[in-house]
Amino acid sequence: MTKPYTITPINEGAGLISFGQVIDETINRKIMALHQLINARPFGGFVESVPAYSSLAIFYNTFEVLQINSARNSAFDYVKAHIENILSDVILDGAQKKNKIIEIPILYDGEDLEFVANQHQLSNDEVIAIHTSMTYRIFMIGFLPGFPYMGSVDERIATSRKSSPRTSVPAGSLGIAGVQTGIYPQPSPGGWQLIGRTPLKIFDQQKPSPCLFSPGDAVRFFAIDQNEFEKLNEY
Amino acid sequence: MSIKIIKPGLLATLVDEGRVGFRNIGIGPGGAMDSFAMKVANYLVGNGEKAAVMEMHFPAPEMLFQNVHLICVTGKGFEIFVDDKTIPLWKPIAVEKGSIIKFTKSGSGSRAYLAVHNGWKAHEWLGSFSTHLGVKAGGYLGRALQKEDVLETATNELAVNGTKTLPWRISKNELDAIYSPPDEIRIINSIEADLLLSESRKKLLSSNFSVTHQSNRMAYRLEGEKLFLSRPVELVSSAVDFGTIQLLPDGNLIILMADHQTTGGYPQIASVIKADLPKLAQLNLSDKINFKMIPLSEAESILLSKEKQLAELKHICVRQFNQYFGS
Repeated sequence: MTKPYTITPINEGAGLISFGQVIDETINRKIMALHQLINARPFGGFVESVPAYSSLAIFYNTFEVLQINSARNSAFDYVKAHIENILSDVILDGAQKKNKIIEIPILYDGEDLEFVANQHQLSNDEVIAIHTSMTYRIFMIGFLPGFPYMGSVDERIATSRKSSPRTSVPAGSLGIAGVQTGIYPQPSPGGWQLIGRTPLKIFDQQKPSPCLFSPGDAVRFFAIDQNEFEKLNEY
Repeated sequence: MSIKIIKPGLLATLVDEGRVGFRNIGIGPGGAMDSFAMKVANYLVGNGEKAAVMEMHFPAPEMLFQNVHLICVTGKGFEIFVDDKTIPLWKPIAVEKGSIIKFTKSGSGSRAYLAVHNGWKAHEWLGSFSTHLGVKAGGYLGRALQKEDVLETATNELAVNGTKTLPWRISKNELDAIYSPPDEIRIINSIEADLLLSESRKKLLSSNFSVTHQSNRMAYRLEGEKLFLSRPVELVSSAVDFGTIQLLPDGNLIILMADHQTTGGYPQIASVIKADLPKLAQLNLSDKINFKMIPLSEAESILLSKEKQLAELKHICVRQFNQYFGS
């Protein structure tokens, strides 16, 4: 029987468990379950793991893995065998940790809102209604500290990235890229279609837990007006 | 106990080994580009590897010593002057109060590390002193050092009189083991190695690549033979690392460096072995490199022997330090 996943070296201190090139909630749940399991019961030499859409990267200290398992002659082989063992537990385990739903206020006044609406022959209000009607899953956090990759956006408003990225997108901007939606936690160059902005700091380096989101969380957006934005503004 | 920046450098920041455990929320390790030079600078002044060190590029800052300090500069491509007298790299030096340290460019190399006994006082963010310029945290106010900044060190003035070099150093052999030959960068296959067209794979290993001006602490963009995939692919993002070699859609290569993003969507065709990252970190613009492919097992054993070399250097430095200062 062929396994539904592959385990390949990223380098001599990391391996990638991949379930293919897909954006799929069931697979992403499995990734998060494995991420949680391996952090709850780390092997000797484990450093950290990075969940993405359909993969989990395992970073390890090669020196420590080899010292602890002196019988093995390859740290990667040890890690691979260990993952294969615990993966069967994850796949069989139907009970998944329930993630919280985080509600995020958005002032839908983005520079590309009109463009998104026009492309789909909708009004701005219809785009907003569709965007706020969904519960999104945070498939992964990457690109910038605290940047949540969320999906999936309703096909009726899904819009490709801008052909030429902006040189600077302000912090708090809410964007769409294909069926993904995300928020820029810091100012950055970026090519996502900007439809609005949140007054909340989704990443605050002053806080002990700087990131508002965790991978696997569920997010809902609700529309606010300019007055409410000013009241809530944390920037 | 402090020094003052009297002339700022291009990008002088406080760094350490980097931030561990936060890649899952998009925060990469960062830290020193040349971790060998950073750690050894610390060992030579009697520190452990975790103390904060100043990473400097050219032009490096000019600094005034406001007290006596035991320092060491490591790295490549710099000549150091204390009060206009040349002092050696890779060797601890006691510097008199009121002295001024300056740097000039010399030979190949691009980064130097200034360590001080007991370490520079730095802001710790998420378990690391390394400066995170993106979110302005860690290090010295989360930013590069500027004119008039005063960097403090932890207590304990050492009993030394006048500026002088101390009698221990890193040998040329030890350095050659890390930095020579400068143009040979060893790589191993990474997750998307199989996607590379076989002709392109040959070119990857047989031709020269040079470091372009679009290179910084985040990534080096290379110029050379254009490489291609055997078929077009649409990848979803996954984790990347320091040393990851990605193939861009235009056929050029990019090597991710210390300040890389945590995830990426370009094909990861290879990875520079960890033992050669210090060498890579010391490349200058338009330097040429050749990639040499080795098996994973060999990369693991090289890594092991480098760890042992470092542990030995640390041990020797501690012994020398204690003998000299009689503790």
